[in-house]
Amino acid sequence: MMISRRDLVKLGLKAGVGATLLSGVPRWAQAKALGIAPEMPLPITDPWIKELALRAVEAARSAGAMYADVRLTHTRGRGFSPFPTSVGDSERLSVGVRALVDGYWGFAASPIWQPDEMARLGREAVNQAKVMAMGPRRQIDLASVPVVHDEHWTMPVEIDPFEVSPFEVTDFLMGLRHFVKGFSGFKPGDYQPLAHFQVQEKAFASSEGAYYTQRVYRSLGELKIGYEGGARKVGGALDTLTPAGLGWELFTGQAIREQIRQLMEELKEDASLPLKPVEVGRYEVVCDAQTVATLADRTLGTATQLDRALGFEANASGTSYLNAPLEMLGRFEVGSPLLTLTANRSERGGAATVAWDDEGVRPDEFTLVREGTLEDFQTTRESAAWLVDSSTKANREIRSHGCAAAPSAINVPMLHTPNLRVEPGSEALDFDGAVASLEEGIAIRHMGVDMDFQGLNGLGQSSRVYEIKDGKRVAMIQGAGFLFRAPELWKGLVALGGEESVRRYGLGSSKGEPAQSVFHSVSAPPAVFEEFTVIDPKRKA
Amino acid sequence: MSETRILTEADCREIFERVKALARGGGETAISITSWWQGELRWARNRVSLSSDRRDVEISVTRTLERGGRGDVTTNQLDDHSLEAAVRAAERMSKLYHSPGRGFGFEPPQQKYPMPDSAPVWSPATVGASTLERGEVARSMIAPAETAGLYSAGYLEVRAASRMMLNTEVTDPQPGDGEYTQSSYVRWTQAQCSTTVRDASGTGSGWAGLSSYDWDRVHDEAGALAERAVQKCKASRNPVALEPGRYTVILEPQAVADLMEPFVRSFDRLDAEDGSGPWKFTWDDAIGKWRSKLGLKVVDERITISHDPMDPWQSIIMPRFDEPGPVTWIERGVLKNLRYPLSTGLELGRRHSLRGAVGYRISSGDTSMEEMIRSTRRGLLVTRFSNLKLLDEDSLLTTGLTRDGLWLIENGEITKAVKNFRFTESPLFVLNNVEQIGEAVPVFRPTKEEDGELTPAIVPPIKARDFSFTSLIDAV
Repeated sequence: MMISRRDLVKLGLKAGVGATLLSGVPRWAQAKALGIAPEMPLPITDPWIKELALRAVEAARSAGAMYADVRLTHTRGRGFSPFPTSVGDSERLSVGVRALVDGYWGFAASPIWQPDEMARLGREAVNQAKVMAMGPRRQIDLASVPVVHDEHWTMPVEIDPFEVSPFEVTDFLMGLRHFVKGFSGFKPGDYQPLAHFQVQEKAFASSEGAYYTQRVYRSLGELKIGYEGGARKVGGALDTLTPAGLGWELFTGQAIREQIRQLMEELKEDASLPLKPVEVGRYEVVCDAQTVATLADRTLGTATQLDRALGFEANASGTSYLNAPLEMLGRFEVGSPLLTLTANRSERGGAATVAWDDEGVRPDEFTLVREGTLEDFQTTRESAAWLVDSSTKANREIRSHGCAAAPSAINVPMLHTPNLRVEPGSEALDFDGAVASLEEGIAIRHMGVDMDFQGLNGLGQSSRVYEIKDGKRVAMIQGAGFLFRAPELWKGLVALGGEESVRRYGLGSSKGEPAQSVFHSVSAPPAVFEEFTVIDPKRKA
Repeated sequence: MSETRILTEADCREIFERVKALARGGGETAISITSWWQGELRWARNRVSLSSDRRDVEISVTRTLERGGRGDVTTNQLDDHSLEAAVRAAERMSKLYHSPGRGFGFEPPQQKYPMPDSAPVWSPATVGASTLERGEVARSMIAPAETAGLYSAGYLEVRAASRMMLNTEVTDPQPGDGEYTQSSYVRWTQAQCSTTVRDASGTGSGWAGLSSYDWDRVHDEAGALAERAVQKCKASRNPVALEPGRYTVILEPQAVADLMEPFVRSFDRLDAEDGSGPWKFTWDDAIGKWRSKLGLKVVDERITISHDPMDPWQSIIMPRFDEPGPVTWIERGVLKNLRYPLSTGLELGRRHSLRGAVGYRISSGDTSMEEMIRSTRRGLLVTRFSNLKLLDEDSLLTTGLTRDGLWLIENGEITKAVKNFRFTESPLFVLNNVEQIGEAVPVFRPTKEEDGELTPAIVPPIKARDFSFTSLIDAV
């Protein structure tokens, strides 16, 4: 007879079994010997996982760590494409221990959740740090943080995507496919629509006595639609399925077919507009919400990462044009007074939303740019202390904004962009309204942006660029590109859409060596910029 | 596992036996097992900022029940319980996606192929590089920058990885073209080191880097890399702005390798026959395909691009069914070969697939860097390119940025540091405007993915005319 862990709970035996399991014998061997088959995997709130976490921290402490923390992550993923039908599941357990010795960080990670491995990783993290600490002195101050005690948080989602039958998901996606194909001239992109779901459970413990567990979801989808009208081929992508901290309701909780119909109307209009070549010059430009979100993220979202600004990523993706943080804070004008950029990791549905970050910090909501002036940087516990000079002057508390993150416990936590929000304008204005009020200029939908290694100079490109005359889209400009410098771009901001026009997009970003990719959300309204430089990116010198 | 840090062949076979025993309901079972270990060290602002030791495994289980679809499940847990959960989940997926039209059996058994010969891809020195040794190397690379009052940042990594694929259809390694192909156990190492040195005011930046399967080679060069980055940083301070336009360029080997990325990736016969990419020629009604440019002169006749698996500087993991021996894609400017899969190889009567430029060498010329500079009236010296983006697949027109050192050459001498440019240029155009070629040397070309394979490149510096710089980038 098999006895499940739940049965043991009923019998009140669980605590005892947990303690026995920590004796160093592999867990499954123990389980086998006891004649029980523990349900795999255990829920993250199981006390046995806490004991594992504490064992790692203990091992690091007794090996000489001044500070140590551990993350255990259990990550499940499920990906779909309906045609040709394919679905893939993945499940990974990871554990990573970080130790601080004399100002030097060591990190050790593996996929093995066993007591002995916890001890090995704790010791190895210290070994890594100690060996480096043989070098010249390095000072690290960790910003203090209220210690979280045994708390659990589950990201609120309406429908857990892993409790939905894979068949239902495929059916739903196939339905969207047929819906698109039902309209003459329209077809969905190859292998589309796509859907991907992830749920990650995490346990965190630190040598300061912190312990939390949390369960975080991420859902995303992709649907591109092509249209052939007359001799013209045009295409667009649904922009409402970008990565979000939501469940299956990302798909079922919004009027996707209505959005598809609207995109189709837009594509029909695109196909009916005459084509024009690029006329290089400077124009007044209306950008849709997605373009503004992308611009804000790739310029200021990148440049306000404090580790980048201080050169910690110099050998990887680069530094920042905001390169003197202490002098620039509170003084440096990054853009027009219309521009206010805030950050958080708490908004419902945000792709970077958590209750606690990878250092046990409860992230706060903070303002990076207020009315055009640089007010703050993204920080972790280590980097928050780098702002000590200016913080003292401004009489501010030294605290981490909670930007520590990593794809899983196999990766060391580092500073990653939180959810960002470009605050809307005070007047009710949307994309169509901004276009209607433009006498002559250009409008852009869905621009992609490539920045340099300081977030300073950018090249934007889009296949959906319009010439505007007397408030109307009169032509599509083929192959247009946009060259800009971040400070001039944001100083040229002349209008922002109102609250109603704000849209949220999940964006990915990659950073570090070895590189890590994580997601965050950026909310923005459409905006109007003046003196926007339009070029033909394929034209050589 | 903790002893070797990666899975051994015996580990992989044992895992497969357990997976097979767990399968229920017949059909096919295939697994792909990868494992890796990495020792990593990052530094910035002249101090080590992180030292780490990481490892992971991935077991990908594919179950295909009779008249079922493919069920793919991956896990990183090796215990019976987790493997059973993965097998059951894969079977559920397979059942869900009923596929009545699908035949049974993967690839038909074919002739046995021996493992092609290649130079070593496994270096005991790489696996043996201790944390202490890595720390010492990093500190020795930081020291010259710190002494000069500059900021050094860098990354050093040693890696070991293994891979094995097994399935129930064929018990011995057999050829096949699909993803079910068995692969013998392979293990390999990679070592890489790169450093960026900046001045305190952020007006100068220099870079140098090297990768190899062998840590000893990287280790031996570490001092030279650090010195080069320091020199470049010093020499690149306070750059002046130049007008965008066409310039004669002297591209250092790393810049050539960066620029060649879209070029070497484009060597694809099927793309050409489908009418995409730079190697399509004319539509042929008789065969219903595009004719490719095979046999035509496509670049400067001094350019040969080839790969010799026996060259210890070019060692890659040879695909089992691939054409053994050297491959030449471009020989003295003439397009000689494009990669193709085994199915094409069989049609051609070659019985092998032909690899693309995973690893490659561009032929050397006999002009030294000094001579290239001396013979330049006005031109730019480029350290490397960054943020490349392909703009046009047919012409390979690419945009990107210069980074970490750009200098003006006037009348045979380097005269000024120059602010970075965005370029808009095609590597094809550059290889048709070659003036001089130097000696090919190994460059920095590591794979980023932890289980990624080796991609060595040996590339010469090249002087070319009329390189198109389209806008000024004042980022450093």
